[in-house]
Amino acid sequence: MSKRPRRSLDWTLPAIVFLFALRPSWAQGASPIDFTREIQPLLSDACFHCHGPDEQTREADLRLDLKEGAFEDRGGYAAFTPGDLAKSEALARMITDDPDLRMPPADSGRTLGPKQIERVRRWIEQGAKWREHWAFIVPERPRVPRVNDRSWSRGPIDTFVLARLEREGLSPSPEADRETLLRRLSFDLIGLPPTPEEVDAFVNDRSPDAYARVVDRLLDSPHYGERMAMVWLDAARYADTDGFQGDATRNNWAWRDWVVGAYNRNMPFDQFTIEQFAGDLLPDATLEQRLATCFHRNHMTNGEGGRDPEESRVDYVIDRTNTTGTVWLGLTLGCCQCHSHKYDPITQTEYYQLTAFFNSIEETGKAAGAASPYMKYQSPWGKRAVANATEAVNRRQAELRRLDAKTRPAFDAWLTEELAAIKRGQATPVWRSVVAKGLTSTDGTKLAQDATGVITTSGPDPRHDDYLVTVSPDLPQLTGMRLEILPHASNTEGGLSRSDNGHFILTNLKINARRKGSSIIEEVPIVSAIADFSESVKGKAYGAVKDVLDDDPRTGWSSEGSDPRTPRVALFAFEEALPTGDGIEYVIELRHRSLSGPKNMGRFRLSLTDQFGPVVRSLEKPPLEELASTDVPDVASIPGRLKKRLHEQFLAGRPEIVEARAALARAQSQLKEAKRWAGEVGVMVLEERKEPRETHLLVRGVWDQKGEEVTHGVPAAVAPWKEASSTDRLALARWLVDRDNPLTARVTVNRYWLMIFGAGLVRTPEDFGVQGERPTHPELLDWLAVEFVESGWNVKRLLKQIVMSATYRQRSEVTPERLESDPENRLLGRSPRYRLPSWMIRDAALRASDLLTADLGGPPVRPYQPDGVWADRTMGRFRYEPTDGAEQYRRSLYSFWRRSVAPTFMFDAAQRRVCQVRVTRTNTPLHALALLNDLTYLESANALAQDVMKNSFHEQRRIDEIARRVLSRSATGAERKRLGQLYQAALAYYRSHPDDAHAYLRQGNWRPDESCDQAELAGLSLVASTLLNLDETMTRE
Amino acid sequence: MDRLGEELLRPTRRYFLGRAAGLSLGAMALGELLADPAKASRAERNEIGTLAGLPHFAPKAKRVIFLTQSGGPSQLELYDHKPGLEKWAGKELPESIRMGQRLTLMTAKQKQLVMPAKTKFRRWGESGATVSEWLPHIGSVADDLCFIKSMHTDHINHAPAMTFLLTGHQLPGRPSIGAWSSYGLGSPNRDLPDYIVLVSKMKRPSDQPLYDYYWGSGFLPTRYQGVKLRNAKDPVLYLNDPAGLPKALRRGMLDSIAELNRAKLAESGDPEIATRIRQYEMAYRMQTSVPDLTNLGDESQETFELYGPDSRRPGSYAANCILARRLAERGVRFIQLFHPDWDHHKKLTAWCPARCRDTDQPTAALITDLKRRGLLEDTLVVWGGEFGRGVAGQGDYKSPEAGRDHHPRSFTVWMAGAGVRPGLSYGGTDEFGYNAVDQPVHIHDLQATILHLLGVDHTKLTYRYQGRDFRLTDVHGHVVKDILT
Repeated sequence: MSKRPRRSLDWTLPAIVFLFALRPSWAQGASPIDFTREIQPLLSDACFHCHGPDEQTREADLRLDLKEGAFEDRGGYAAFTPGDLAKSEALARMITDDPDLRMPPADSGRTLGPKQIERVRRWIEQGAKWREHWAFIVPERPRVPRVNDRSWSRGPIDTFVLARLEREGLSPSPEADRETLLRRLSFDLIGLPPTPEEVDAFVNDRSPDAYARVVDRLLDSPHYGERMAMVWLDAARYADTDGFQGDATRNNWAWRDWVVGAYNRNMPFDQFTIEQFAGDLLPDATLEQRLATCFHRNHMTNGEGGRDPEESRVDYVIDRTNTTGTVWLGLTLGCCQCHSHKYDPITQTEYYQLTAFFNSIEETGKAAGAASPYMKYQSPWGKRAVANATEAVNRRQAELRRLDAKTRPAFDAWLTEELAAIKRGQATPVWRSVVAKGLTSTDGTKLAQDATGVITTSGPDPRHDDYLVTVSPDLPQLTGMRLEILPHASNTEGGLSRSDNGHFILTNLKINARRKGSSIIEEVPIVSAIADFSESVKGKAYGAVKDVLDDDPRTGWSSEGSDPRTPRVALFAFEEALPTGDGIEYVIELRHRSLSGPKNMGRFRLSLTDQFGPVVRSLEKPPLEELASTDVPDVASIPGRLKKRLHEQFLAGRPEIVEARAALARAQSQLKEAKRWAGEVGVMVLEERKEPRETHLLVRGVWDQKGEEVTHGVPAAVAPWKEASSTDRLALARWLVDRDNPLTARVTVNRYWLMIFGAGLVRTPEDFGVQGERPTHPELLDWLAVEFVESGWNVKRLLKQIVMSATYRQRSEVTPERLESDPENRLLGRSPRYRLPSWMIRDAALRASDLLTADLGGPPVRPYQPDGVWADRTMGRFRYEPTDGAEQYRRSLYSFWRRSVAPTFMFDAAQRRVCQVRVTRTNTPLHALALLNDLTYLESANALAQDVMKNSFHEQRRIDEIARRVLSRSATGAERKRLGQLYQAALAYYRSHPDDAHAYLRQGNWRPDESCDQAELAGLSLVASTLLNLDETMTRE
Repeated sequence: MDRLGEELLRPTRRYFLGRAAGLSLGAMALGELLADPAKASRAERNEIGTLAGLPHFAPKAKRVIFLTQSGGPSQLELYDHKPGLEKWAGKELPESIRMGQRLTLMTAKQKQLVMPAKTKFRRWGESGATVSEWLPHIGSVADDLCFIKSMHTDHINHAPAMTFLLTGHQLPGRPSIGAWSSYGLGSPNRDLPDYIVLVSKMKRPSDQPLYDYYWGSGFLPTRYQGVKLRNAKDPVLYLNDPAGLPKALRRGMLDSIAELNRAKLAESGDPEIATRIRQYEMAYRMQTSVPDLTNLGDESQETFELYGPDSRRPGSYAANCILARRLAERGVRFIQLFHPDWDHHKKLTAWCPARCRDTDQPTAALITDLKRRGLLEDTLVVWGGEFGRGVAGQGDYKSPEAGRDHHPRSFTVWMAGAGVRPGLSYGGTDEFGYNAVDQPVHIHDLQATILHLLGVDHTKLTYRYQGRDFRLTDVHGHVVKDILT
């Protein structure tokens, strides 16, 4: 907005003329203008920015957000004068032609249309009734309205809804069928679909209280707490890591289990509030009550190097304050960090008074393991996680033993053959020195290879140089490389290089593969490097051979510290066997880019092998060479240790063994982690300092720009502070849930309404302020809020009231007329139909396939996600290993949440960085791809198909059974026909392509029962996958 | 496959016809609207997803390639030549220059001793732009570039500064500039996302992770967020069908899904289902369009030679530069590359040239390549990081071990292409390269200018959230008119 001075308010003739001209005939009707709905939002949008609560940007000393300001006598005129258009200067300024006087000013980017101005005019005419912002008035139990149709309502909720519908000339939708109702209830209350048995039981139960009993059953289910917790975790910005640069793992999951338990015990919401704000301050606080306070420690913590911890600490205090604003008060308090609120009557001072409650936590502003205060806590759920992890280890061990036994005969045969070959004098050499097809350097060193394979250097010896050796080896495969660096008289002091001291420094080794005709090169992953001299010396950059595997020229392998006249050898193992032939070339790149060059190798030889295990990972003599040099008559006489090494070499070359070993190693590391988590861990909690910190207003919100000192306080416009003596967090929590607080109950019931109906009665659940939306059903909101408080903040009772209503039970089908008249279903004339949250879609697939491990609580688990997601995003600092065993199939609630890389299968989820109560629901091709190809869904389809195959024998029955488990209803004839065709096509394909069936049935860890017909199983699995991808499957309707 | 093919391909053909007949985007916008009930206003969009009323004026740039250099490249070594520093070497930076500038805790307690540039500079081309000898290729195209030497920002640590550069605010939660452009303008290519991100594959773990919110959509619907193409078997997450599932069966399955969904649409009347049907189709098309994009096999040898040896290594910055050109050819609106590890607190003489080696030739090649293909005319290329580096040495200023700390008050960004004056060096810093004193350009100004070139008035592209109309430039930002053609 421009800073040019406004002319003082003065009255102009053209404005008056225009004013009276502005009376279109359609406006003649005297329907009363509602200030709250029609005037206040308009003034807020157009005027408050400069004539609102923020004193910094206030123009002409005029406030239009307060009644006093709007009607104040400004010397013969006022902004608004009830009933007197001519004395309402603000109106005149809205309609004047004079661009210098016109309001809002053209350069403000704000405008008022003729209809809006007309509304202001009529409001003034009608007496300019002013009301305080609705949300700041304590709700009172409204009178239940009268309705024409007395038969539909089941209670006050319905009467409020119906009254509104009738006012618009609309009627509610009929009740949904029983399958739909049960499915809806199940998703809404426990976040899982019903089983076919539950559907049958409910459909066949014609007793009058059948519905109510289902509701009670669901509310009593332990899964109820999980479902409720998922929403609360979003609001609480809960995650298992710190966020920011370090993003270290924390142990706060015990708090997540506290939330589940609190909901399952139906802890009253006021108590729920008090314990999370101030459990530690309650008299004789229990361990659990202290645990509850972790709510206010779930913010991100920043341990970035060079950051001032005090700046971070201030951030956390601000975060708690803003979270309180959003979750309890429905106010965008964050605006006040830098200036007084632009729209709501909250000053910057009041904001900082509120921060005072959170400013004296005994915390340091640090992250990772230094984010005290912690409390020691041992979870009762840890044992189960250990048991599951142990079982996974045992299974992997048994599998490895089985494979080991299975490969014994092959090992014996191999060994017999190798021994025979040795006896025949036909033993293949283990290492073959490479014959270079190309030999170049980037910076000028001349390279030449002699008959023994040794590569010699001559000519310039530049400071840095990369040697490039191109090879197409004549070996069936490649498993590793040997590098020998050879001393020579022509090198300095007869050493290893031509440099000043005869030592070399190799900074990096890279091997790139290139296929004939392809322009793309692929880097060969090298997994280990060992050498006969390899020393990491602290403070010395060059030493250890493993350092040639990173990209870092500041580290590398060097002979310095040893005798330079001794030859050196290093072995490099490849991650997997590399193919040869077919025009494939490998370019071996030996980089010398050290800071203290030139220290480039003088003479060296490269050799490759096709043998596995000890050959490439140990400097000992390769087992087959040792065998050749040991005179043994037969296999039985091979010495035990040698035989063991030979066996190890054999096993290392069997992919199934390699895979099984890796799986065992993963299971073992998970067991280790589970054991750690089953012990005592430190949970971040609140704890007050002995000496409170001073709290200051921060100028422009900058952490170290301290303004005036402030003391504890709350925004006066919300509710008065009653606790005369106490100024701690406990008192703040009590203020929040005081019955004179106009916001908390409304905001809370609105959030539960949102959870069930997909949208709140106030559609901006995070903003009940002046700029937020007005409630679609204000009386209903107030009725629910009052009921909620009077019931003792009873959450289960509130939810039961909602789901028992006729409003809730309506059908969701929509006609084009209804869509036209109420596209967003603001009037609630039908049940909403919306896509389930992604976590619920996943849980539903696990339930349908019966893979679900329905246990409660415990440390986080890692469901499948694509390889490399963590490593990619964190540049390799974190790697994701999906959990093995039963814990893989836990509900999504328990998924490990890394803030820097949220779980990929949780699309549209809250970001868990700052508090979020609004739901995002988008519809993108990326979501389609996830549901089509995520391992969880593929595996679920396989498991579901197999389960069904075992229980029914007909194709059509099987298809129908899958539909019942996925959709909670039988398939229609048309669906059965279509899916039958798909099944037949897939069956025919898999009959003729058993390898594809084999592959398709091995997604993730799950393995099919091989006694089932594998082609049928694969075909049926495709049908299941199809059903799992239907719109209906992922939709709450 | 024949029996299968006959049965399953019929609906396929019908389906594709349906799509070709334009059964698409109007309803998509409607679907989005309904999917987001809180969004009351009926945002109308044209067939390429551009919001009604946009662009605000004729755009010079149809697309943007943002070459993000993460970590804070040292302007004092790369572009901002300060020969006068030699005589200050090792002396304390005058307080009249520093003026209380905050430092990170890494150097806050050190004396601020001036460290002259660790490299030499040359003047390049007709414009005579000064560019480091570490960047000979970029130097060779300097006549096509417009250097802004007077950039400054408000933030001193990586994450807040990068978040600020990309979203206009230091805290996570707001849409990135690419998301704003996708939201406002959509993209002519409906088989690829509007906003695509490519991150260089580095072998050594990096100190500064690249958070996904850098290309996030903040409070905008998630369909506007950047899609990161991974250098992996599946460049887009979940792109590849599982092993053992042939294309024809996948097609048959998708046709079955579509048919059953259409039946549901007829029964329930929910337009969201129509959107879902289309998104599954788009997913299927992406399974072709993405591999087609990322397979560089059809590029000529000459191209690889132009972009340098690294370009043959998938995932490298150089290979990503080729991909950027392919994305530009395909009409993708906002293409953003990230190259990490410009954070040279130590060993600047070893590390900074290493990053230059990674990026110099491919960056210049991209400019050359776009130009010769006629794409530079309507493509805006931006090169820059989140802040610069300070004139004082970190560590012993004489040693090759020394580096520089973060510095928000001055750094260099360059732009090239659509609507930007080539061969211009704009703005300047004081004799220490410390303060942007001549024509300072703030981050919000840079953002305003990028949007301007896309035909967007940065004050008018807003989104209402929490009762406030948010925009990329907050309440700031001026278009830097002097650098426009």
